[in-house]
Amino acid sequence: MNKKFNTEESTSVVSRRDFFKRTASVSAVAAASILAPASLLADDENIMHHPKWGTTLGDECNYNPYGFPSKYEHNVVRRTSALMSSAGDMHAAISMTPLHIQKGIITPSGLHFTRTHNGVAHVDPNKYRLMIHGLVEKPIVLTLEQLKRYPSESKILFMECPSNGAAEWKGPQFNSLQFVRGMMSCSEWTGVRLKTILDELGLKPEAKWMLAEGSDGSEMSRTLPIEKVLDDVMIVYGQNGESLRDEQGYPVRLMAPGWEANLCVKWLKRLEFGDKPWYAKEETSKYTALTASGKAIQHFYALETNSIITSPCPEIPWTDLKKGDLVEIEGLAWSGHGTIRGVDISFDGGKNFVEASLKGLVLPKAWTRFSYMYKYEGKPLLLQSRSYDDSDNVQPTVNQEKKVVGVEGVYHRNAIHTWAVNAKGEVSNVQVRS
Amino acid sequence: MFKLDRKSIIIGTSAIATSALMLSGCMGTTAFGSSSETASAPSKVGVYAIKNKTAIDGGVTYEKANGTEAAYSYNQQSTKGVSFGRTPTANEIKAWDIDALPDGTGLPEGEGSVEEGDELYEEQCAACHGDFGGGGNGYPQLAGGNQDKDENGIVITLKNQRLAPGMDAPKRTIGTYWPKATTLFTYIRDAMPYATPKSLSANETYAITAYLLAQNGVMIDGQEMDEEYVLNAQKLTKVVLANNNGFYPNIDGPTGPADVKAFFADRAKNIGSGTRCMTDCKDPGMDGKTEATVMKIGYEMKDVVPAYSTVRDLPPEVEDKSISKAEKMYNVNCKLCHATDNMGAPAVGDVAAWKEVTAKGVDKVVYNAINGMGGMPAKGGNEDLIPSEVKEIVDFMIESSKPKH
Ligand code: HEC
Ligand code: HEC
Repeated sequence: MNKKFNTEESTSVVSRRDFFKRTASVSAVAAASILAPASLLADDENIMHHPKWGTTLGDECNYNPYGFPSKYEHNVVRRTSALMSSAGDMHAAISMTPLHIQKGIITPSGLHFTRTHNGVAHVDPNKYRLMIHGLVEKPIVLTLEQLKRYPSESKILFMECPSNGAAEWKGPQFNSLQFVRGMMSCSEWTGVRLKTILDELGLKPEAKWMLAEGSDGSEMSRTLPIEKVLDDVMIVYGQNGESLRDEQGYPVRLMAPGWEANLCVKWLKRLEFGDKPWYAKEETSKYTALTASGKAIQHFYALETNSIITSPCPEIPWTDLKKGDLVEIEGLAWSGHGTIRGVDISFDGGKNFVEASLKGLVLPKAWTRFSYMYKYEGKPLLLQSRSYDDSDNVQPTVNQEKKVVGVEGVYHRNAIHTWAVNAKGEVSNVQVRS
Repeated sequence: MFKLDRKSIIIGTSAIATSALMLSGCMGTTAFGSSSETASAPSKVGVYAIKNKTAIDGGVTYEKANGTEAAYSYNQQSTKGVSFGRTPTANEIKAWDIDALPDGTGLPEGEGSVEEGDELYEEQCAACHGDFGGGGNGYPQLAGGNQDKDENGIVITLKNQRLAPGMDAPKRTIGTYWPKATTLFTYIRDAMPYATPKSLSANETYAITAYLLAQNGVMIDGQEMDEEYVLNAQKLTKVVLANNNGFYPNIDGPTGPADVKAFFADRAKNIGSGTRCMTDCKDPGMDGKTEATVMKIGYEMKDVVPAYSTVRDLPPEVEDKSISKAEKMYNVNCKLCHATDNMGAPAVGDVAAWKEVTAKGVDKVVYNAINGMGGMPAKGGNEDLIPSEVKEIVDFMIESSKPKH
């Protein structure tokens, strides 16, 4: 229970509060925002009373040797849906990052979205081995400790499932930012640049492709072209300053910056170099984008430039605003093709745009924040954001994307997203399309 | 070309009006005229120095020089000679290097018939993938779909586009969609059956592969795959699936990587790209006359777990959920199949089913759990369980399936 002040002074303050509680017809919050003499406001109990946490002894400094979020944040969790699985079986399924709560550009590791094809494997790091072989002069097998002996590199990079937004090709489905775009996260990843190891192993000139294979039950495997491998691909073991989480492939996963998360094979076991592509299941039956021509795009690597307004959104609407409030429109932009150069915002469903500002770190293949100060007027809006990057890539409209690839491709959807804001400030997921 | 002066946007006026004042005209159909970027050096369109504007994925790569690469600094000392680990033995490489290529490289010795595959499929796969691979249980459908092709050799039903409710979806099965049959062999061997992957021998995998190809109406060398048909590596390599040519860009042969690069270089044509129009934008996807409509959610997907909430309060008191060791082992090893009777297993909690099971005597039931029977893999597929642990789990299953009072 809240302990009350027991000086005379404060007692009188409390009784005045009680008086206003009885007589004021408006809530304290509403009253506080009306320009009225301070004496007419109801006093906030949270100010008038010492809180419990200020009048009791807290936990010992290392009560939780590994810290947890505040208990009050228990609704800030990944969420999933039977729709993201086979038959509601959650071993081959997806869970989504709560983007509506996310600020800044680093996703807490425990909220990083998850995608598994045969459940989350729990690898014993002492039994872990990584083999690199095939068209190299010197094949090699490494323990985890040996891998960590190589010079390390850390980069902030987004990770996105190419099915992010896949439910929405034919129209809006989920009234939630978490489900519209939550199959992505952004972390600082630490590991070894693969080129550093390959320089020593000696890649043979015939090597054109690399097979990356996981050690989990699904033996997830994918083929990558050598050009990328020698550019920025990493073998990572660290995420946001600690080891990878099991869900992210502990102890080691591949990181192909900007490319499909599926190519960033988890629980990485083997890298083989060859002169032909492998045609693994996850690059034929799945992760190929069927277009309206009846043919499908394969080896669809990079996630194209994309963006989404994160505030307001259906989960955190503008219903608490009143006319004239100056409010920040905020969002995330990202591109697997390079670095975000800018974001434009539309209030009328894409007829007219204004330039938003980028804010914070602007890094290649990483989430980039954008911001625009807006004077709220309580009028219906069709809010959109459109990003562009330094590879001259501009986010397409729904129609521009649909015209080229149709609506059955599942993967790589990056059309401009629209939130409808109604006169009450409520936000819903809509699409502007023909 | 305009250059937006951010400072002159007056906050407080309507944003839409502001945009109309500040921006005069559309930037046209090209994304960026690089000539308009007067302020930037040619190698630096954005913030960071670019090395390559035409990387294989259609994006850029960054210059790594003088201690920086894009935003990151790096140590310029040489890493030449850094080497850890050891050379794998020939046996180790042989144990792990079991992948197979479409040309048959890497396929193991062995063979199996359609008939053997039928039996194995019924036992180990049908519960999830349906009779004859026909799906229906919510798990992927493995056979079926129409493989007829149009005059350009394209599987006709893959052109289906659901542009309105009620239209047919393209059906993506092994027969209609998969390009290579070797993929089927390696995937089944490495990743299936789902709960006990890597439990099938090469012969068994050939048999199941044969069965699934037969269910998909595949012919090998013009020969139909009947019950007696025996599949091996040579024959598998000869399979040409209906949608073999259904994928682009080309990745095969010496020009593969270059073909991929050329494809992604033309984004506007091949994958769809936008334009940076600022005012009075006409969506180029439309005919320029019709107004775009605002499509709302027709049927909202709300079935999410945990349920939506942004409330910040104390979590509800949870009752003590600590469970017995037996239950834990059950959850990890057995629940997948025994939670329901979908897969033909006696469902835990189903009193009648377990009454029938235990009628043969608990010892026999435990014996069956340890050694397997029908669709029930020995020890649930986890060799590491010792017999006494299996017995503990079976006791738990029996106990949990007694009538509740
Ligand atoms: C317990 C259910 C279950 C059983 C039993 C099972 N599978 Fe699967 N199967 C799955 C799931 C789930 C997937 C999808 C995995 C993913 O998302 O990567 C799948 C995927 C597949 C695929 C790929 C389908 C596609 O179109 O991409 C094939 C082929 C397959 N299974 C074959 C088999 C065979 C053969 C067996 C028996 C030896 C078997 N499965 C047993 C659940 C099962
Ligand atoms: C891959 C699916 C699967 C898994 C995993 C599985 N079971 Fe079963 N189980 C079955 C099926 C199917 C049957 C029915 C077999 C039959 O009647 O032919 C069965 C039957 C049984 C029976 C009844 C045997 C009898 O005599 O009738 C027991 C006991 C049993 N399972 C125990 C277990 C235990 C213990 C585990 C975990 C260690 C386990 N099962 C894991 C599929 C499974």
